[in-house]
This record gives sequence, structure tokens and C-alpha cells, in this order.
Amino acid sequence: MKMLFVSRLDRAARAVRAITQYVALAKRKGHEAAVFGEPRADFPSVPHSRDIGRYDFVIFVVYDAWDFPDLPHLARLLDAVPRERRVIIDCIGSYNETVKVEHDANHMEKLNGHQAWEWIDGFEAVADKILQPTLTPLRKDVVPFLFFGYDPSLVKRTCSSPQEAAKAWSGQAGLLKQYGVVYVGHNWQRWSQMRRFLEAIEPLDRWLRPICLKGWAWDRRPDWAVEHDFGGVDVDPDFLNRVGAEIGEGIPYDEVVSLQSQARFCPVIHRPLFNRLGLVTNRTFETFCSDTVPVLLLPKAFVETIHGPDALLLAAGDDIPGKLTDMMRRPEVYWDAILKTRAHLAAHHSYEQRFEELMAILDGRDMAYTTPLRAAVSM
Amino acid sequence: VKILFLADRRTNAGSIQAVASYVRAGDELGHTIALYGRPDPHYPGVRCSTDLDAFDHVMFICEYGVGWMSGLRMSGIFSKVPRGQRAILDADGMYNPIICIDGYDRNHANENDRSRWRQHCDAVTDKILQPTLEPIDPAVRPLPFYAYDPTLHVDPKRAPPKRFDIMHVGHNWWRWREISNQVLPALERIRGGLDGVCFLGLWWDMVPAGAREQHLELAFGFDTDWFRRLGIEVRPPVPFTQVAVAMSEGRLNIMTQRPLFRHLKILTAKYFEIFCADTIPLVMLEQDHAESVYGPAGRELALDGDIAGKLLDALYRPKKYRELVEEVRHHLAAHQSYGVRVADLVAALQAS
Repeated sequence: MKMLFVSRLDRAARAVRAITQYVALAKRKGHEAAVFGEPRADFPSVPHSRDIGRYDFVIFVVYDAWDFPDLPHLARLLDAVPRERRVIIDCIGSYNETVKVEHDANHMEKLNGHQAWEWIDGFEAVADKILQPTLTPLRKDVVPFLFFGYDPSLVKRTCSSPQEAAKAWSGQAGLLKQYGVVYVGHNWQRWSQMRRFLEAIEPLDRWLRPICLKGWAWDRRPDWAVEHDFGGVDVDPDFLNRVGAEIGEGIPYDEVVSLQSQARFCPVIHRPLFNRLGLVTNRTFETFCSDTVPVLLLPKAFVETIHGPDALLLAAGDDIPGKLTDMMRRPEVYWDAILKTRAHLAAHHSYEQRFEELMAILDGRDMAYTTPLRAAVSM
Repeated sequence: VKILFLADRRTNAGSIQAVASYVRAGDELGHTIALYGRPDPHYPGVRCSTDLDAFDHVMFICEYGVGWMSGLRMSGIFSKVPRGQRAILDADGMYNPIICIDGYDRNHANENDRSRWRQHCDAVTDKILQPTLEPIDPAVRPLPFYAYDPTLHVDPKRAPPKRFDIMHVGHNWWRWREISNQVLPALERIRGGLDGVCFLGLWWDMVPAGAREQHLELAFGFDTDWFRRLGIEVRPPVPFTQVAVAMSEGRLNIMTQRPLFRHLKILTAKYFEIFCADTIPLVMLEQDHAESVYGPAGRELALDGDIAGKLLDALYRPKKYRELVEEVRHHLAAHQSYGVRVADLVAALQAS
């Protein structure tokens, strides 16, 4: 099968990890995948193409309206590929009526001028099949497909036992970690959760220092957000300064696992909208590749369904200080949960499996692959 | 004929007043004209539709940016509206080669931007229209588009009290050089004799977010201290339905136009809207151009030369100027009405 992904590829954001995984897997499995566009020096291993006619399917990976290519390329794509061979992976649930959670929403009309109806009409005009990375889509005509996955080969440190892992993690093996906490991700609809987390750990042990936040807009609220009174990119630089947080720009996707491995803890945060819609992201899985303790700030039902029952121990719940204190006191217990969760992710959410699921969906065999997971959700 | 406009919908900028006038004039002439989108109470009088199949022609009103013509939006349009039924109104002359006026105002910063703009338009249609009678690109067809709508007239009996001697209504977008070189020095000379001066619109006291990153600071020049010294009041913009009423708070209204538009003789909604207000419009245009749009009386209303003297003259001899304004209004009603424009538009869209 020949697949052409259409998306804005950014080395420090969005679906870059997933798309590069699919491209590599396609090659390994005797298929072909490329990204629409001219070859890019910053993605030497990712084939790019504008030769639309040679692909069986065009897969739009959409976060916002600008993920559709500019004219004239869009016109050529639509002319050259019939609708039944176009698929949309709707990463933020845009193909729904408007869902608002706190400042977050699947339709940011103030930002891009598109109302709910336009997302729905536009998606239907483009593609025959619309996929969302959730097991619980709101619309019946959406195909659930998690898209993002886990790559066991990226695991930074493989350990044979939780004791070994905990020992290394604690620095008893002679390797001290540089950070107490690292979060890699942009400050987009995450501030309220991040603040809650940092406030909770502020009185705790110095072992949770220093703190490092890497991503866009952790340093200050963007001017446009101030000018247009746009919520969701809030930040409190004084507070971050007080807790000693080191702030930096986003980092390339292939450096994330390594940086997170320099931290004892990494919070896993999803946008409020994603929590409501059950959407997964790259970070849902990738944090488990790092040599760190993931602190899951996610709904427990979601954790149990996606990460498996052992991961519930890593869910902070309402008592973040209590959870982190216990993690520091009994690291073997938590590393046992991490190793079991890694095994669960490898068994149920590997990119290999995702790739096969995608092939099945493109072939029209989608229900066979998604039914077991959907059944798990309804349990 | 059924015509659907597509535009970046803004209540206080762009061509929204023209769209409302086309809807009304179209109804009178038996045409159905609408704006793409769902009905919205912020746009009274504007028929809205999302039923792309129901229209014979679709016309995109493109101004400076085409970001609103996103892939999401265009996908639906491309799938439902054949190329032959699409047209673009290039309201800001962006389809032209790069034009830079005195190293200041320009349509594109560089050839790459210009090329992208052209490719964008060419992907949509091969029918490009510009609101000028003198397009410089042979591929562009002239269509004045904007016009005079007497139904917008502000009745002097119902007009708001005159709070200002002089008003300027419009956003600060490539206007600062003309304002700072000509208008403010003129006001400085006569300020002692004026009751009040008001600039109404965006960006007279701030540069919008993102302008610096896009190297567009020059387009938003302003000098708050100078305004303060001259006692100029800056007020925020009003919705399109209130523009003529707001203008009516001024005894005189000055119309400026960005240098690029003056060079290309591009018409804008403001050319005509200002004559709907209960005010004396003075337009910063060359006299010949003013006459070509407004008729012979337009020459007298052109601010071309001694600006301070003209402003004082208009303030001291309002009767004379009101008569000139009435003459212009008659000329516009006869030659530059939306009834005339609708016929022109239909002909342009139906032309092969």
C-alpha cells in the first residue's frame, strides 16, 4: 500500500513522532509512505512527495485548519485523489459539534474563524473516512483509531526488575538525574493543570528540584492572547520563578525521551478537551519510553483503559503531594507498575499494531481491529 | 442570478457594508445575493447561506490576507463549486506585480509572497476583478464594486450632536505617512480654532500583536504624544452599521487612502460611505480622480494642496460645502449606485 500523509510537520510539535513512525514502518513492511511536500533538510529520513497520483491513499493529519495544504496544492490534491481514497485523522476532535471545557474547545473560532458547521462540512467534503484518536468518539460516523502508539525500541533504559530500575532511578548506581521534574510540551490549554501540579509539589522535598519546562509560551503570555483576551495560554512567570522552574523552548521530537530521562518525574498532562473526549496523544505513550516516573494527571478510567490496570498506581488523583511522597519512599513499587505498563503498551499499543490497524481501516476492515478495544472501554 | 460572496467576516472592517448593500440592491433587481456563512445577528441586513449548490456564482472578496481561505474552507467550496463559477475580487491590488510607493506602502514585501498570492488566486479561478477602472495587469478585469447606498443616509434631524469639528474614520493601516506629513501639520496650524478632533478606528495608539514579527510595524506608525499635544481623541471602531452615524458626529470628515490604493486608483467602501453621513466630507485625492468618481463638485471637496486652508474654509462656509456635498450625492445616486454595480457585477460574472 502507498500512503501519502498530509500535515504540517514540525520537529517540536504535534504528530511528528507518529508520522515518522508510520513512514519507517511502511518501509520496513514493504509498503510505501511519504509526506506531502518538497523534501526537507530537517527530515532527511522522511520521504516527501508531490507526486499525488502514485499513492493509494491520502491521509490528512489534522489539528487545525492550516493542516490542509495551501492553494494551489490543495486543489491539485482534491482533483487527483477521489474522496473515497482520502482519510482524515482528526487529532483534536474537530469533527464534532463544539465541545468547550474551561478555556479549551475543539473549535477556536476566535483564532481561525471557523465555526462547528464548517469543520463538519469541510471534513465531509475532503474525506470518506474520518478517524479520531479516541475509543469513544461522539459521532457514529467516526472511526475510532488511536493513531499514536508506543515504540518499545525507544525505551531509554531497559531493566530486568523494578529493583534494578528503582536503584538506577534513585541514583544509587552512581547516575544522578539532572532534574527533579521535566515537562516537555507546549503551554496550550495546560496551565491550570500545570499550576496545580507545581503548587502541589512546591512544599515537597528538594529531590523534586530543579524543575524544567520545555515548550512554547511557558515564559510569558503571548501578546495576541493578551490583546484578544484569549484564555488557555495563561502563565504566571513570577510563580514559575518562585518554584525555580527552568523555562526553555520546545525541543525536537527525537530529543524528548532523552531529556525526560534526565528527570525523576515527568507529569503526563492532556488538554481538558482531550480528557473530555478521551483523545490520546503521542505523549500518552512516549513518556513511558523515558527513564523516569510518569505521573499521570489523567482520568483514572482513561488510564485503566489505555495504559492498563497497573498504571492506575501512577495516576496522581487528587493527592499529588501524597502520591509523589510515596513514589519517593517506595520507588520499587512504582517501577514495578511502570515496567508492567510498558509491557501492556507494547502488547496493545505498539506502532506495529497501529500500523496494521490503519491498513485494516484503509482496506475497509476497520471493525475487526477496533472492536476489542471498544469493548474494553464499555466494560 | 444568484451570487454568493465569500469574505473574511468582520463587523468593523473590510467590505461588509458593501455586501449588505449588494444584498439589498440585489433584492430590488430580482437577484439573490448572500454572504457565505450562517446567519449572525452581528451582521444585520446580510443574507447568509452555506448552501453552495444554490448559487450560480461565487465571488471571493480578497483583501490583504487570504488566510481566511483556509484549506478546510476551500475543500468544501472546491468540491461543490466548479471553477467556471468562481471569481475573485482583488480588493487590495495584491494580484499585481510588486508595487512599492516611495519605499513605504507596498502590496507585497517580496517576490516570494507575491508569487504565493498569485498561485493561490490562480488555483481558485481565472477571473480576477479589481475595484479600479485602470487595472495594470492585463489579466485583471475592472469592476468598481463599491458604491453609494442612499438608504444609509443619516437624516440630519436624527443625526447625533456634532462633538468634533474634524473626524477621521478608518483604521491605521499604511496611513501614517500621509497623516504625519500632511494632516497633522495642517491641524497643528489651525488647532486653536477647532472644537475637537477625533480619529476613530484601530491602531492609532498601538501596534497590533504580530505586526513586528511580520515586519509590518511601518504600516502601523503612530505618535501618541503628538496626538495628545493636538488634543486628538482616539476612539475604537464601530460596527459597519454605525459608521455613517459615527461620522455624523463630525462637522468635517477627512478621508485618507493608503498610498498604494491612491496609486492604483482603487475604490473602497469609504469613498461612498462618507457621503452617507451627515457631515462635510473632504477627500485626500487628486482633484482629477475626485472628479472622475464624484463628478465636478468632487474637485472642490478634494484635500489636494492647502489642507489647513481647506479645512478652515469648510468650517467657516458650511453652506457652500453642503451644497457641494448634495451635488456629489446626486451624481453618485445617478452614476455610482449599487443598482448600477449589481448590473456590472452580474455582467462580469457571466462574461466568459
